[in-house]
Amino acid sequence: MSDAPLVFTPRPADPPPPSTIGVVGWMRANLFSSVPNAILTFLGAYIFYVVVYAIIDWALIKAVWEAENRRQCLDMVGRSGACWPGVAAWIPNLIYGLYPKDQVWRINTGFLILIAWAVPLWLPRVKSKVAIGLSLVLLYPLLVSYFFHGGAQTLVWTALIALGGAAFLWVWLTTLAEMRFGLGFGALVARLAGAADDERARRIGWGALAALYVLALLIVSQLSFVEVQTRLWGGLFLTLVISGIGIAFSLPAGVLLALGRRSQMPLIRVFCVTFIELFRSVPLITILFMFNTMLPLFLPQGVEVNRLLRAIVAVCLFASAYMAEIVRGGLQAIPKGQYEAAAAMGLGFWQSTSLIILPQALRIMIPSIVGNFIGLFKDTTLVSIIGLFDLLSMSRAVGEDTRWLGLFIEPFFFITLIYFVFCFLMSQYSLNLERRLGEGQRR
Amino acid sequence: MRIGVSLLVAAATILGVAGTASAQQTLQQVRDRGSLNCQVGLPTPGFYALAANGTWSGMDVDMCRGVAAAIFNDPSKVQYQSVTSAVRFTSLANGESDMLSRTTTWTAVRDGQLGLEFAGVNFYDGQGFVVPRASNITSARELDGATICVLTGTTTELNLADYFRANNMRFTAVTNENVNVLVETYLGGGCDAYTNDKSGLAARRSAFPTPNDHMILPETISKEPLGPVVRHGDNNWGDIVRWVLFGMIEAEEMGVTSANVTEMLRSPNPGIKRLLGVEGNVGQGMGLPNDFMVRVLRHVGNYGEIYERNVGANTPIGIPRERSLNALWTNGGILYAMPFR
Repeated sequence: MSDAPLVFTPRPADPPPPSTIGVVGWMRANLFSSVPNAILTFLGAYIFYVVVYAIIDWALIKAVWEAENRRQCLDMVGRSGACWPGVAAWIPNLIYGLYPKDQVWRINTGFLILIAWAVPLWLPRVKSKVAIGLSLVLLYPLLVSYFFHGGAQTLVWTALIALGGAAFLWVWLTTLAEMRFGLGFGALVARLAGAADDERARRIGWGALAALYVLALLIVSQLSFVEVQTRLWGGLFLTLVISGIGIAFSLPAGVLLALGRRSQMPLIRVFCVTFIELFRSVPLITILFMFNTMLPLFLPQGVEVNRLLRAIVAVCLFASAYMAEIVRGGLQAIPKGQYEAAAAMGLGFWQSTSLIILPQALRIMIPSIVGNFIGLFKDTTLVSIIGLFDLLSMSRAVGEDTRWLGLFIEPFFFITLIYFVFCFLMSQYSLNLERRLGEGQRR
Repeated sequence: MRIGVSLLVAAATILGVAGTASAQQTLQQVRDRGSLNCQVGLPTPGFYALAANGTWSGMDVDMCRGVAAAIFNDPSKVQYQSVTSAVRFTSLANGESDMLSRTTTWTAVRDGQLGLEFAGVNFYDGQGFVVPRASNITSARELDGATICVLTGTTTELNLADYFRANNMRFTAVTNENVNVLVETYLGGGCDAYTNDKSGLAARRSAFPTPNDHMILPETISKEPLGPVVRHGDNNWGDIVRWVLFGMIEAEEMGVTSANVTEMLRSPNPGIKRLLGVEGNVGQGMGLPNDFMVRVLRHVGNYGEIYERNVGANTPIGIPRERSLNALWTNGGILYAMPFR
């Protein structure tokens, strides 16, 4: 017998029965737990197989990838396989509309600027995110409208474009400065210049911004793009322009309308209630018709408001009315105690709204807001009715091209994928946002 | 309250102004703008087709180009406004479009009640049926009890009902607003026949997997004279569109083409001289140069050229012109231009 102390060592546990672990176990528990479940599983798998196989068979296996026109496709596989060359020939139009093909780089550049502008919002150690976000919504459109539309610059026009350009330069300089030195662009310049006191530093900071603006003015006045009229805009590009402006406009406008509706001031309240109820009670299509066909009647002779602009205004107004009600719902979910606490802290209306109420309200509204954005993105297809060639109407045009006459399932299939990708990304991003912002409230 | 009242007054004033102003001088507006706002429909092969490279072509597009050539000596100075048929007349009435050239049927109601002015007929169409050859149907009279695919929102539906009622037959309609969906339904056996204007039937049939398995029935159940339209109230503008169209037809009758128009300027034929503005002052009365038809013919061509280029036998659409209504009156058709003098 050894003197080693007796230590209790439990016998290693038996492995779980093989039928309950791994793939087999999961399948037994979830798919074949009972006879009816097993039958349903097989039935479901069969239906899934039939549908997916039919789609893959049509879209990939039997599909034609090279042909001169639809007749060749038909001669090869009849209607049992997709005819992709027609879609391929129309892809430039589906994406950019009838935008001159040699100018398409301007659209691409415009969207690259958008991405570059938004990147700092996700970078660490960047403190001016609110300012960057605001400049993105307010000043980016000024810059990019020149890229998209082009044409002769007037004095005011140039000044506004330069404002957008300067904002873009400022965004990146500030981002770099804050990531590297922890100071904003203006403050960094002041520090480098060795400003003695705050007053001087502020003045140098403003001076640096002015210099930036002059620089942007110089660059912008050198740009000269050919005019591309909006009637040539189309496809995915147009869909993104309309829904982008609609989204960017409707959120702030919706917040203001919702606040106005809860306001104590009768004039503002009546205006907001009237606006919201009017636009919510009328279908979007009616508003589009109204703006498109009635507005020109009310305008004096010779004044032509751009057709696209009319559609955008209609979409914006409609979307903000809906957004207002979503925001109002969010505001009402905030307990009264929060308002009272804010008031007890001595915060005024705007301070308590922007610092206490809205941040909480917006967080709980994210799912509905993004739902509304997705709806808006898809609603833009209605502009096809007033003759704008958005993605949907462009895909219809493929089947009316003499060479690809009758080809309409394939373009629909293609744009379905595009719509899916965009909407899915939006909803995934909103889930991600909810997860991050809701971290502190998880139960 | 006071704000409301003043807003109402302002709106009424603007309405009043708009009501009176939109009548005369379309020509002047077009010249000032530097381009013609020509309304076409959603892309339709043969008449207003949109190609992958973004260019418009077709019978009706050539009408737009002809008018632009007459005014600007440049057929490309056209802004094509492609809108759905639901808003075509409002879009013309509110001044957005200068003219409408989009397979629009000339009817009494449209001419009389909608404030429209039809400038002429550039294509005589008519509604017909296409059926599978395998069905052994050879006449529309044999369609009693049939299921028929028909487009909604146009007069085709009404014509169909009229024809069946007049002949004491019954039918079941399968309707959709998208031609492609209807054609798929028809090809998939969802209906016994597909009805539309015969030009459209010919175009669609050409895109069937096996065109020869289908035939267009001989009957034409409606009259569809298609032509350019302008607004009421500016007669001079209507004259311009009308005489550009007549000029194209007249030129074909006289044998003036885009290729020989320059030589024809020296032709001794007084009719040709007047058409081309060498003699007389046809154009002047309309506010155009007297040689406006030279511009039209040089850039766009005569009616025969336009027809063959867009819907003729050598195009995929292939609507034969011989012995059809769209042949010249000298060739057994009913195309007849009023004289240029």
